[in-house]
Amino acid sequence: MNHLIGYHTTQFGELWDKSLFDLVEETISGVLKQTKLTNKQIDAVFFGNMLAGVLENNLHSTSKIAEILKVNIPIFRAEAACASGGAAFNLAKTYLEANSNKNVLVVGAEKMTDYSPEQTITALSAAASGEEQEAGLTFPGLYALMANFYLEKYHYTEENLAYVSVKNHFHGSLNSKAHFRRQITVKDVLSSPYVAFPLKVLDSSPISDGASAVILTNNRDLIKKQKNSVTVLASEVVTDTISLKERKQIDEILATKNVADIAFKNAKITRHDIDVAEVHDCFSIAEILAMEDLGFWKKGTGGQKIKEMSTMYGNGGSLIVNTSGGLKAAGHPVGATGIKQIGEIFLQLTGQAEKRQVRNAKYGLSHNVGGSGGTAVVTILAV
Amino acid sequence: MVGIVSYGFYVPKYRIKTEVIANVWGKNPEDVKKSLLIEEKAVAGIDEDSLTMAFESASSALSRVDVDRNKIKVVLFGSETHPYAVNPASTILAEFLGIEKNYLAYDTEFACKAATGALISAQGLIKSGYSDYALVTGSDKGMGKTHDVLEYTAASGAVSLLLGKDNLILEILDFESFSSDTPDFWRREGIRYPSHGGRFTGKPSYFYHIEEASKSLFKKTHLSAKDFSFAVFHMPNGKFPVQVANSLGFSPTQIKDSLTVNYLGNSYTASALMGLAAILEKAKPGNLIFLCSYGSGAGSDSFALRVTKNLFGKRRKEFKHVVEDKKYIDYPAYLKFMEII
Amino acid sequence: MNKKGKIVVWTKIYTPGSDFKKYAPYPVVLVELENKEKIYGQLVDYEDSDLKTGKKVVSVLRKVRSSSEEGVIAYGVKFKPL
Repeated sequence: MNHLIGYHTTQFGELWDKSLFDLVEETISGVLKQTKLTNKQIDAVFFGNMLAGVLENNLHSTSKIAEILKVNIPIFRAEAACASGGAAFNLAKTYLEANSNKNVLVVGAEKMTDYSPEQTITALSAAASGEEQEAGLTFPGLYALMANFYLEKYHYTEENLAYVSVKNHFHGSLNSKAHFRRQITVKDVLSSPYVAFPLKVLDSSPISDGASAVILTNNRDLIKKQKNSVTVLASEVVTDTISLKERKQIDEILATKNVADIAFKNAKITRHDIDVAEVHDCFSIAEILAMEDLGFWKKGTGGQKIKEMSTMYGNGGSLIVNTSGGLKAAGHPVGATGIKQIGEIFLQLTGQAEKRQVRNAKYGLSHNVGGSGGTAVVTILAV
Repeated sequence: MVGIVSYGFYVPKYRIKTEVIANVWGKNPEDVKKSLLIEEKAVAGIDEDSLTMAFESASSALSRVDVDRNKIKVVLFGSETHPYAVNPASTILAEFLGIEKNYLAYDTEFACKAATGALISAQGLIKSGYSDYALVTGSDKGMGKTHDVLEYTAASGAVSLLLGKDNLILEILDFESFSSDTPDFWRREGIRYPSHGGRFTGKPSYFYHIEEASKSLFKKTHLSAKDFSFAVFHMPNGKFPVQVANSLGFSPTQIKDSLTVNYLGNSYTASALMGLAAILEKAKPGNLIFLCSYGSGAGSDSFALRVTKNLFGKRRKEFKHVVEDKKYIDYPAYLKFMEII
Repeated sequence: MNKKGKIVVWTKIYTPGSDFKKYAPYPVVLVELENKEKIYGQLVDYEDSDLKTGKKVVSVLRKVRSSSEEGVIAYGVKFKPL
């Protein structure tokens, strides 16, 4: 059985003084310190990052990490756009299933704020198909198409979307590592400028820097010695077409639906068992679609259910979603997000979530998506 | 007999009024309109250029006839606003039209008569048996320097003619050409806007060449102005074509339907051809049409055309409809579309 | 080219990447052609009232992105309301 024994994250935000590998180094030191392990005790590293190749002309990050860690072990980078973190974790788990008594470090990191908005937007659209890029569809544009389709089909308005951001900003205010820690109102969201109709600035996750790391192990002795440890019940990856127009349904991420089914089957638990979840809210619409595609809410009911705010901390709901602040408020340093999500579940299950601690959290789920749904990763943890 | 089998035209959607431009520069709009006889001109969108407009007009020309595109072995693109300084737009056009690779293509240039010169060459290539069909396009996104008279007249548009030997709607009865070295209007490489010689562009340039080319053709064909139902001349403004028509013996009735410049401006290589497209909506079988282009630098090509009974089947009642499908823009939008800002 | 279709879904882009900056804001539509093929493209020569599901459009040729002053010009498909 694979166990998650440690998690560290850097601050997420506009970290002007830190470079990509400064952040990687910081989070690796942090997680080693937490688990009281040395670099020599790491047997392999998996790294999730999307843009270093495009923005920094760096496509040998694995070797850079070897330099930082001062080791000569296998290091691999996972490529799955915004699901790179989740995919790296999945590869780490698979590595442990093939090798016994090993400790694996999984790091996700991204540096986005050293570039002009146009450069970053252009780089992010690498997650979209060539045709989508040629048509001038930005990444927000893709989710905007999904939003318009969904809102029109189920007769909701932009107002329904706003509740996602309001909830996640409230959670962000309880998380000192979040990019945004101020609360916002529905009115704030609705009056923010458009990015791609109907999505506005406050419907969209920000451009952030950050790095997060976890350590996984299948070494029983080490697990027994660790203060905090959770079991990985499932970690699954499913892919689908890169192009939104080739999907079965525009307002549904089939990869999410399929990966959730497989993960729950392998974990041998049901949706009702999940107490806390981190879902991929790159845009407000994405959280609503995720809740439906993961099977927590019935298709088409999301717009109404989000208004009830049952998934907000403190409202007594049975499933609290995105206590980290989600991508919206915690920030979205692309490669780091998947690891941060898993880390947040780890904190919840081990009672370390401080001001946002959900009581008696026993089972948690994280959901990480690449592009407009080309890759979906679901991880289920238990304590 | 070689002639025109089909034609297509493209007018962009946007228009800017003479008075809008005049007001920016503090000129009296009525004075400007009276001197140029132009109410408004057509402006191409920011993402349009001579190639995109040529394509739309050629697509339209080809869609009306059932011609095997692989029999079009000549593709000629005439413009003074070519997309590239070096690279043929004619091949890009042919590729988008689905014409397979066994064709002769080249881009032509002679200020506003680039397309009519190509028309003469194309006629020769068909007559010699090289090709059954030829596609000739005149297309321009005309530029004029701001605060210059050209700003009111330089416009955008494209006209495509498919030439052939059978099922003609217009027969090319005969043609003439007259050329000289007369620098009335020019643009040096790398310089954005054309320069012109002011009043020199009139009598020694426009009028001289059109009159000589026209008189040559009259002499050759033993025809005179009264034999023609319609006449169309290159239209740098609303006054010149009226004046030259008069000096050649044409009456106002003969040219009035051709004066697209009044409401579309001067689309340079497409100018006279646009006038022809407008006339074809009114022409009847058997009518003779006189066409004379003018290209600065300078030269004129004159043509005697005859309408056949096939025109009825292929007539476009669209010209008026297309022209009326318009949207007015203001001066900043104009500058944006022309990429001046 | 010159193919007819209907808008399946649309959006309007306000924050474009570098190559599209000068066209912003611009609508992008997903169109289902008469032959059931689906194509993305910008919508041009439009009024805001044309931006609705089911609106009939036709494909046109336009410049699709502004490359550098030195690069090859990119021509491609856009759509115009009918």
